[in-house]
Amino acid sequence: MTKTIIIGLGNPILGNDGIGWVVAKEVERNLPKHVGHLDVEFLSLGGLALMEHLIDYDFAILIDAFKSDEVSGSVLALHLEDMPNYSAFHTTSTHDVSLQNALLVGRNLGAKLPKCVMIVGVTTEEVFEFSEELTPEVRAAVPVALRAVLDLLENPARCD
Amino acid sequence: MTQRISIDPITRLEGHGKIEIFLDDNGNVSNSYFQIPELRGFERFVVGRPIEEMPLITNRICGVCPEAHHMAAAKAADAAYHVDPPRTAKMLRELLYMGFYCTDHTTHFYALGGPDFVMGPDAPVAERNILGVIHKVGLEIGGKVIQMRKYGHTVVEMIGGRKVHPCTAIPGGITKGITAEQRKEIEEMGRWAIDFALFSLKIFNDIVLGNKQYVDLVLGDVYTHRTYYMGMVDENNKTNFYDGKVRVVDPNGKEFVKYAPNDYAEHIAEHVEPWTYLKFPYLKKVGWKGFTDGEDSGVYMATPLSRVNAADGMATPRAQEEYERFYSTLGGRPVHQRLATHWARLVELLYAAERWVELVTDPEITSPNIHTKPTEKPTEGIGIVEAPRGTLTHHYWTDERGVVTKANLIVGTTNNYAPIQMSTNKAARSLIKDGKVTEGLLNMVEMAFRAYDPCFGCATHSLPGQMPLQVTIRDKDGNLVDVLKQFC
Repeated sequence: MTKTIIIGLGNPILGNDGIGWVVAKEVERNLPKHVGHLDVEFLSLGGLALMEHLIDYDFAILIDAFKSDEVSGSVLALHLEDMPNYSAFHTTSTHDVSLQNALLVGRNLGAKLPKCVMIVGVTTEEVFEFSEELTPEVRAAVPVALRAVLDLLENPARCD
Repeated sequence: MTQRISIDPITRLEGHGKIEIFLDDNGNVSNSYFQIPELRGFERFVVGRPIEEMPLITNRICGVCPEAHHMAAAKAADAAYHVDPPRTAKMLRELLYMGFYCTDHTTHFYALGGPDFVMGPDAPVAERNILGVIHKVGLEIGGKVIQMRKYGHTVVEMIGGRKVHPCTAIPGGITKGITAEQRKEIEEMGRWAIDFALFSLKIFNDIVLGNKQYVDLVLGDVYTHRTYYMGMVDENNKTNFYDGKVRVVDPNGKEFVKYAPNDYAEHIAEHVEPWTYLKFPYLKKVGWKGFTDGEDSGVYMATPLSRVNAADGMATPRAQEEYERFYSTLGGRPVHQRLATHWARLVELLYAAERWVELVTDPEITSPNIHTKPTEKPTEGIGIVEAPRGTLTHHYWTDERGVVTKANLIVGTTNNYAPIQMSTNKAARSLIKDGKVTEGLLNMVEMAFRAYDPCFGCATHSLPGQMPLQVTIRDKDGNLVDVLKQFC
């Protein structure tokens, strides 16, 4: 049976950065039937720590806020490998490696990691103010992002 | 060229670690500025919430060290309620904290700071990373790193209730104890952690200390600053991460002050610069003399290196041996070379693992006496712990219902903002000569601040999870000479 994990990423007290958690909660409430083994998690992690949460799953969907030039509240769905791997194997991050590199490390060590990692992102401006509220344009994106996650779950060609 | 340094604050909202370098008429560095994007409004955010919520909320300030915020906030809440937790509760909190420390220090050495040494600072970027370390040292090492992290997470989850953001510390103690079975499991993991720490020190010894080029790099002047050093110590002036007094030694290693957490405001003041929102803490009784070294400058550092400098030794036997070897190799205490921080971090890793076993083998660790009920009206409380990247202070004022009316936090990285600025500036000055930018500038400057393990809370959890860095070089008129970007 396919094991799937859906992870809401972000900081729920940092305004729009909490969008990943909000969408993941909506996914929990609207889970489709017959999707096999499925877990939903809520995390504020990246890199190695995030990779460790993906071990033993076949398919992962990560939901997160994205900084982008798109209009705030736009929804993007893409393969992890299509995202730029900014670190290019380097370690400028002062605290962690990129998720792509963390997955490489895990696979090198023989960990069973998802063949397919999809990202559902909601665009926002940079977030630097503490708040538990989403802005109206980002909140309006919740049903769209939810639909994107459910489509990925239901579409068997999702990883092609 | 200070008249050109009017950096629009909006640039800070790009979320980059930003270094602006200004050149003089001869093309040499006139000055440089290291800017850290700061999360704002936290003190405002917590006002109006009960103080017992602080250990839960503050651990979400950033994804890097939630355990440190959980502990500092819990200690502040104890103080505000005038309640002293039972011994077992304090030990359990500290035990959780040792699990966290082992995880954090391991990650920094193997994934972040270590690759510069294990692979060499001049190695191609495609190799200078954790994968390169695994390929060079062996696949076995990667498995050990993951195992160490897993054990650390397990201890945090067993005592803290959750893997990442612990939730069990409350005013007066902790909400759950451990069973005899859990105790045994934690002890086994702790003993493994000691072996792992010794193994890590051996790698450092063989690869770094066994290579003259690396030793010269560590001891070189580029990364040296003679400042004051801060760290928490126990009653014997030995390092302690969870509790004790804050000790500061001067650049000669002599005790300058040792104060209880409640007195921090008497000793620490904050300097404001026009080019950054973040403030620069300094020693009030020495005074702010600018970004400069020496006994007359109130600049201090709070990192693994400063903790060992500020202590008379380590409280566990094997870590003490390593402490002695550290200073005998580097020429006595204090050590001013910032790159030695990576070695100090491994000495601390060993201490944390040994302390882990010490705590879990204490006969009282499984006692059910884990909470003292607060009975007094809350007022004001200060909690200090040593976060992996520096002394962490939480200070809350409450009304008589325990609702927070005011808060002040000094986080680990903030302590080090002035020395980081000094180190990046010095690295830039030594590398840029006559208008020529050395190719290795970016990594050499990175190495200057990476030793401090600075926390850019906002960049840690958002995808793709990298801290972008941009170095901008300008001529004497402020015109752009070059921009070196990484991950921007």
